[in-house]
Amino acid sequence: MSQHVVNVLLSGVFHASILFLVAAGLQVIFGVQKIFNLACGSFYALGAYVGVSAVGWYTAAGGPPALFIVPLALAGLAVGAVGLVVERGLLSFVYERDETFQLLLTFAVVLMMEDAIRLTWGAAPRSTAGLYLVYGQTHLLGATVPVYNLIVIAASLAIAVAIGWLLTRTTFGRIVRATADNREMAAALGVDLRRVYAKVFTLGTALGTLGGALVIPATATMSEMGIELIVEAFAVVVIGGLGSMRGAFVGALVVGILRSIAISTYPELEMLLIYLIVIAVLVLRPRGLFGGAAV
Amino acid sequence: MRHLSQATRELLRAHGPRYNSPRYDRRQILGLAGAAAAAAALRFDVAPAQAQGEPVKLGVVAIRAGIAAPVGAAGLRATEWWAERVNKAGGILGRPVQLVVEEESNPKDTVERYRKLVLQDKVEAVLGGISTGVTLALGPVAEDLATPWLSWDGTTQKGVEETMPNPKWAFKSVDNEVEAIVAGILTPKYFKGIKTVAGIGNDYSYGHDCWQSYQAVLKRYVPDVKFVLELFPKLGVTDFTSHIAAIQQSKADLLMCSFWSGDATIIMKQAAAVGLFKTMKGVFTTAGGVHDSLKKEFTPEGLLLGYNTMYFDDPKGGPLLKQFVREYKAKHNEYPPYECDHAFFNAESYKAAVEKAARGGRQWPEKAAVVKALEGLEVESLSGRRSWREDHVQMCNFYQGITTHKNSYDFVTISPVEVVSTKQAMKPAGAKLFDWINGWKI
Repeated sequence: MSQHVVNVLLSGVFHASILFLVAAGLQVIFGVQKIFNLACGSFYALGAYVGVSAVGWYTAAGGPPALFIVPLALAGLAVGAVGLVVERGLLSFVYERDETFQLLLTFAVVLMMEDAIRLTWGAAPRSTAGLYLVYGQTHLLGATVPVYNLIVIAASLAIAVAIGWLLTRTTFGRIVRATADNREMAAALGVDLRRVYAKVFTLGTALGTLGGALVIPATATMSEMGIELIVEAFAVVVIGGLGSMRGAFVGALVVGILRSIAISTYPELEMLLIYLIVIAVLVLRPRGLFGGAAV
Repeated sequence: MRHLSQATRELLRAHGPRYNSPRYDRRQILGLAGAAAAAAALRFDVAPAQAQGEPVKLGVVAIRAGIAAPVGAAGLRATEWWAERVNKAGGILGRPVQLVVEEESNPKDTVERYRKLVLQDKVEAVLGGISTGVTLALGPVAEDLATPWLSWDGTTQKGVEETMPNPKWAFKSVDNEVEAIVAGILTPKYFKGIKTVAGIGNDYSYGHDCWQSYQAVLKRYVPDVKFVLELFPKLGVTDFTSHIAAIQQSKADLLMCSFWSGDATIIMKQAAAVGLFKTMKGVFTTAGGVHDSLKKEFTPEGLLLGYNTMYFDDPKGGPLLKQFVREYKAKHNEYPPYECDHAFFNAESYKAAVEKAARGGRQWPEKAAVVKALEGLEVESLSGRRSWREDHVQMCNFYQGITTHKNSYDFVTISPVEVVSTKQAMKPAGAKLFDWINGWKI
């Protein structure tokens, strides 16, 4: 029994770790720029594809398998620079327009990104072969746990702590929070909104691409992988509260663990259960568990 | 080949407005790939064919986006390979083949593109169609437009029941559930003493139908078998760790999985990470569709693995299969999956039917005569002899076997190879599936 509980909880937390990175990207961008970035799932997919390629090159160059996570994470972070291109090249033109335009624009990015990925990497699923098992397995209360899953969970936790530190303990974080709270006032006090927006969007994108890169050894790329995650990320931000990082953390845990419990007990209810909670939150606490808190 | 393409493109422009513009969209470029071969033949190999008439246009509908895109790409590649081969040999009745490729997407849009192929491009026949959701809609349209349609992998089944038992123009794939039935027949042979079974498949018709059919067949061989868990994740899920936790908890003796795309690779990898198949047997009815992604590092020996209707490494495979595998690998750097065989069979049987209907002459036959000639026709396909049943359903062999690491690849293959004919594993024309299974003498 304890073995099963460990399996269910750890698989839920593993799923939550990835969800958190994508939802955190969504939240930081919404919190500051008030843009609901539908492309967060596409950035996640992009990170996964780039991660596979980076690991492929690393392996072909004879890099030691045990260190594959280094090029993987670096590639995931580096490709986050695409956020800067999207923000400067596209979003910067629609900040003053209606939110619907912004939403449509990020949806356009979703579709464009899917085609760009297909043109670059083709339609066939790609994976990092057996590297997932390089770190072996460990045993916890009778359950076999892949060490790589624990690494992803730990990385996600470390990133959560790092973001918390960045937002609350650094000058950049204070500026970001001030901008999220009142952008006109921040601009009046001399904050260069252009730079802040570019940095924040790139940070949000890099969280998604890093999430995609980190998960890929445990799975394989599929062209729809981003869309699938957006649906769950919505639930995370509604439950946690739109724009809140703490909300993203708690929301991801709630969705990840509930999903895992549902699959183990009543698999037919997997999505129904999650969205029942979404509806309950929307009705009883529309701002979400941590809604209203500035980034 | 590169030299020929430039020359042939110029030649193709002479064949109509479609190729007049120097700007090509993706569809036209893919169409050209096949047509280029046609023109190559025109100019260099069978010059007399040009004098005998225009190229014969064949429409192709292929999925090129989404989860089934690799399957669609495989079908298209095989069709192009076939067109190149036919054109090098002089075309069909002296006319070179020109492929006009359209996208298979949702039913509504695909029907519109299908109409365009027949009404605007004036193709002689349409090949392709993979998703049964789409081909269910294409069937009646094919009948309405009175042009032969040969489906690669799509049926006109609703669930496991046929909706078009007596078509005139529509030629359909094998019934969706055949590979699950084959796996159900082979399971008791290789996994003796199985008492409990868990199942996982995609949450749409194919996944559910395979699971039901597998259960019905296995129940006939092992009457006291218990089905203890069924999971139907959505298409596109890339994290099955929670599903695997549930499968572990079920403590089933065997897991049956009908995944056929990247999800087969993912579940195999995530199952290996927790040692699932150390205590459980595994049946993967359709994972041969992504066979070269099933790396040895995470795919154990001893699983039952299905390759649908073509096994690329078949030790008894003929010279045609060997040539195709060799050239496919050289060109695409991967080993061909089964969809190639469906596509090749469709195109090759169409050619044979035209030649049969022409009765040895050079006069191009009426479309009605071609569909009549297709009924019951048998031709050599990549996997061996395949035929059309009288009710327009494909007849062929299914290949499944036990995974092994004893090969020169970095992925698993199967040994021994079991070959089961649709004569044994597909319900006869007009039969009800479960009545038919329950009527087996075992």
